[in-house]
Formats: sequence, structure tokens, C-alpha cells
Amino acid sequence: TVASTSAAVPFWRSAGITYVAYSSVCANLLRNCLKEPHKSEALTREKVHISRSKWADGKPQKPSLRLDTPED
Amino acid sequence: MAMAALRREGRRFVPLISPQPISAVQSSVISQEQAPQGVRSISTQVVRNRMKSVKNIQKITKAMKMVAASKLRAIQIKAENSRGVWQPFTALLGDNPSVDVKKNVIITVSSDKGLCGGINSTSVKISKALQKLTSGPEKQSTYVVLGEKAKAQFIRDSKDNIELCITELQRNPLNYTQVSVLADDILKNVEYDALRIVFNKFHSVVSFPPTVATVLSPETVERESESGGNLGVLDSYEIEGGETKGEILQNLAEFQFSCVMFNAVLENACSEQGARMSAMDSSSRNAGEMLDRLTLTYNRTRQASITTELIEIISGASALKG
Repeated sequence: TVASTSAAVPFWRSAGITYVAYSSVCANLLRNCLKEPHKSEALTREKVHISRSKWADGKPQKPSLRLDTPED
Repeated sequence: MAMAALRREGRRFVPLISPQPISAVQSSVISQEQAPQGVRSISTQVVRNRMKSVKNIQKITKAMKMVAASKLRAIQIKAENSRGVWQPFTALLGDNPSVDVKKNVIITVSSDKGLCGGINSTSVKISKALQKLTSGPEKQSTYVVLGEKAKAQFIRDSKDNIELCITELQRNPLNYTQVSVLADDILKNVEYDALRIVFNKFHSVVSFPPTVATVLSPETVERESESGGNLGVLDSYEIEGGETKGEILQNLAEFQFSCVMFNAVLENACSEQGARMSAMDSSSRNAGEMLDRLTLTYNRTRQASITTELIEIISGASALKG
């Protein structure tokens, strides 16, 4: 999934991050630049609560919880 | 008034015998009570209990409908705003549901909570049909399941085809960050040539048909653009900066997936609330009808018992006189 060697790969791609994750990080940085009260309102849009479980051979593995809440 | 007093007196000597379990309301709800004094009165207790519980259910379903309506209002705005995020992608890359690839991944979006009508069943039905369509020799398709309800249905017969199960998505209000985490997870851990996202598109409160959105992997886009067709026009675009077409396609494909997922999850949430509204509405209407029928039965038995008492009293009085 790495681009061809003819052009330089952006630093985040060579670090193994997808574009989606990269834009997410940038958005987070942008949200943290806001001033109150917009900042706390924007940071509510960063709450993540997901429970995922990978399946293998028709059997679920133990579900793992992904919980990100912005600190503040 | 004297009758009522007499009736009350009669009741005090009458022990209530619990009736047989009743399957249909229309069938005999009347239970005969045996009393040592020889006073016979038909009990309306059973019917009254039933009426009380049906009335409570009606209140609850009415409240649930109101709650679903208010949740729908809030999330509908988000869903409509999110439509503008994936439309440019479809304008650029096209929608290719008939693309023929080796590895399909079907992402089924469903709800975690129930009482929302049949939307989850239709999504699962479409997913299973899609899976049959896209499997064959050298082709395979697997599922990524979002939501408890679809998971329960898939576990029954498609256990071996499930790759990933995601639940508890709606614990917090839906936002893009959550979906981007999800999309990132799928992009990194699931290998695919084409992703087919099955969800219920929200057209209106009464119309939420199941839809399939197809997102291709960058390699597939590359392949399709080389073979001409809609994607062939991509070459006529000029690329700025130091990136190659392959890189740009990869970024675009990943971002497209994330946007389409976001929209799919929001639209499905809207459809869920809309379906719940109509399900609860028909439930309260049914409860109301049931209540009417029960009231008729109740009044009939009440009047019958009054008539019986009257007859007994009058015949007793006339026996005394005569």
C-alpha cells in the first residue's frame, strides 16, 4: 500500500498512518486552536466509544473497547 | 344504590378464584365464583387488570414515539449536511456497483437497539443477497457488521463469513471522529478490493429504503481507470504538487470511504428513529383498539352481572310476596 518509489512518500504515509487518521489528527490540532466557548463545543465532537471484536473461523474474539475522550 | 350496596355485600363473601390463563380477549373472560352464601357474581377483575396493563403499554409506546421524533429531528440535520461530503467523490470517481472484483467486503450498518420495525432485517437480507451475488469461484465476500441487531441475525447462518463486529457506536452522539476511527481500523485490518456499504437511506419518515454504496480500493480504481469508462477521465485531470496519481488515488479512496461511512451511519440512524416512530405509532394504535375491545367486554360482563343480580332480587321479592 506504499506509493511507488518514484516520488517521495509523505511522512505520515511512510509512518504507516492512513490519510483518514492523518486528517483526524490535523482536525484535532485545529480544534485545540479554538477559543472558548467554541473549543469545548468542538471537542464534544471528538468523543469516541466503539466496541469492536475481530472474528476468526466463525468465532468472535474478546471485544476491545475504544474510548477516546478529549482531555479537559 | 341499594343494588350497589347489595352487590358489595355479596362480594365480601365471595372468594376470588384465579381463572384459567386466557389466550384471546374475545373468549370467555368470565369466571364463575363459588360462594357459600349462594350469591353469584361474575368477576370483572381480570378484564380490568388487562385494561390497565394495555393502557400503560399505550402510554409507553406514545412516549417512545415522541422521543424518537425528537431524536430524529436532531440527527436529520446532521445527515443532510453530511450528504454534501460524499457527493463530490461520486461526481469524480463515479459509483460502480457492478464492478467485478476478487475480494468484496460487505459492511452492514444496523442499529444496536430494537423496536424499530423491520429495517435491520431488510439490511441483512440485502447483505446476504449481495454476498451470494459477489461470491463464486475466485471471488469471495466477507462481512463487517455494525450494530447488535444485524450481528444477531448473521450469527445464525453466516458465522464463517464475518470479519469484524462493531457495536456501541451510538453511545455518544454520532460524530465524524468516531467514524474516522472505524474507517481507519477497517482500512488497516481488512483487505478488500471493493467495499459495499449496506444501509437504510433516509428519504422521509415513512420511506427508508436499503441502499448499497460501493467504494473501491485504490488499486481497483487504478485498474478501472485504465480500462476506460467513467474513471478513464481521471487522466485528463492535471495533478499539482509532487504526488503521483497512485498516491492521490489512495488518499482519495481512503477519504471517500470515510465520508461514505459517515453518511451511511447517519442516514441509518435517521432511518432507525423514523422506523421506531412508525412502529411505536402502530403499536399505540393497536393498544387503543385492544382497549376498546376490552372495554366492550368489560361493560358487557358488568351489565350481565347487574342484570343477574336484579333478576335474583326481583324473583326473590316476588317469591316472598306471592
